[in-house]
Amino acid sequence: MLLTVDMADLAASADATASLLTFSLGSCIAVSVYDVDARVGGLLHFMLPESSIAPAQARDNPAMFADTGLVALFTSAYALGAEKSRLRVKVAGGSQLLSCDGSFDIGKRNYLALLRILRRNGVKIDAEDVGGGVSRGMRLDIGNGAVTVKTRNGEVSL
Amino acid sequence: VNPTTIASVVDEIDALPRLPESALRIMDALRNPQASMAKIVEAIRFDQSMTTELLRICNSAYYSRSRRIASLQEAIVVLGATNLMRIVLAAHSRTLLAAEQRGYGLPPGALWRHSVAVALAGDKLGEGLPPAQRATLFTAGLLHDVGKILLNERMELNYAAIALRVARERIPFPQAEQEVLGFTHADVGAAIAERWGLPEPIVRCIRYHHQPALARTSDPLLDRVHVADIACLLLGIGGGDDGTHYRADIGALRRVNLPPGGIERLGLETVLALKQVEAAHLATAA
Repeated sequence: MLLTVDMADLAASADATASLLTFSLGSCIAVSVYDVDARVGGLLHFMLPESSIAPAQARDNPAMFADTGLVALFTSAYALGAEKSRLRVKVAGGSQLLSCDGSFDIGKRNYLALLRILRRNGVKIDAEDVGGGVSRGMRLDIGNGAVTVKTRNGEVSL
Repeated sequence: VNPTTIASVVDEIDALPRLPESALRIMDALRNPQASMAKIVEAIRFDQSMTTELLRICNSAYYSRSRRIASLQEAIVVLGATNLMRIVLAAHSRTLLAAEQRGYGLPPGALWRHSVAVALAGDKLGEGLPPAQRATLFTAGLLHDVGKILLNERMELNYAAIALRVARERIPFPQAEQEVLGFTHADVGAAIAERWGLPEPIVRCIRYHHQPALARTSDPLLDRVHVADIACLLLGIGGGDDGTHYRADIGALRRVNLPPGGIERLGLETVLALKQVEAAHLATAA
């Protein structure tokens, strides 16, 4: 079963036949988590680094932001039986424009916010494909934890 | 050597689904600052399917009211004339823009999604402009990428050459389009808008939406379409394989004068508004 995760959204699953997909990441970042023992995984497509710019919207749409989105992603995976020590974390996205002033470097700020939050919580990234200008999509297969990044040039496993 | 000319591309326009007459009438009614409710109703009411769809949207859970809405006049009161126009135009443009554009790596629905997002983002940036200008801005945002529809097949054939240039020379996607095809999706879009007889300010926004500096004089509508488009491309809203291979025009950015954190807020509000539009349309698709 294919389950599409929209931008500013997330999904978690323990269904071995399910695949979680997200597309057109741009400067947004997709974060996948997977517990191979529990066979539980989740996928987040967050858009902006900090929920502090809009706390009210963050309550209704936690997956919009890195900070609230990561909490929601990990919580959803734990609720299905995943354990923090076993979670493998993979990351894709964070594209940049060819040139812009600092206000448009959302991709970079998203990535830095992600690193900061994961480090603070003692979680490391197992694999990543970030930056540049290429359009990416990400897919997580719940059955075996395989993560692939899709671009026009094809799919690469992460 | 590329034998195609822009004229031969534009001749293919007649094969496109046209913008319905009622859409043109609505745009016309909106550009008139004194547009009365009667005139707006007049523009829609002959379009039976649109009237039905609007009433369904008004009566959907999303806009739920205690009372059933049975007429266009009531619908305008419920949604407000401006909101109603946006829903109508977004719905009209769906027939034109919803198809898959494989050449650009746009799955079904993506170009429509991107176009509506740019219209909504441009509208946010247009707060404070006179209503007639905001209506023009909304339409220009909705149609800015219409040229991609006609270039799609050529893109399928030439994508590899264009992508190679983008990667090797680090040039923006439209510049590589220009070098390989001889024109950009913006040129073709402007030619389509001219052929359809759309007003000059809309044609101009479409033609220069990636290069506002090429327009001889600065134009608040063009600046806003450019910044709205760049923001949506950056965030990947309805994005294709062209990804974020674009350049923001510093002059346009300065003139639009986003406050610090303005791009985040613009992205946030655009995505939330887009989710509303999509929910309203999904509600009527059943």
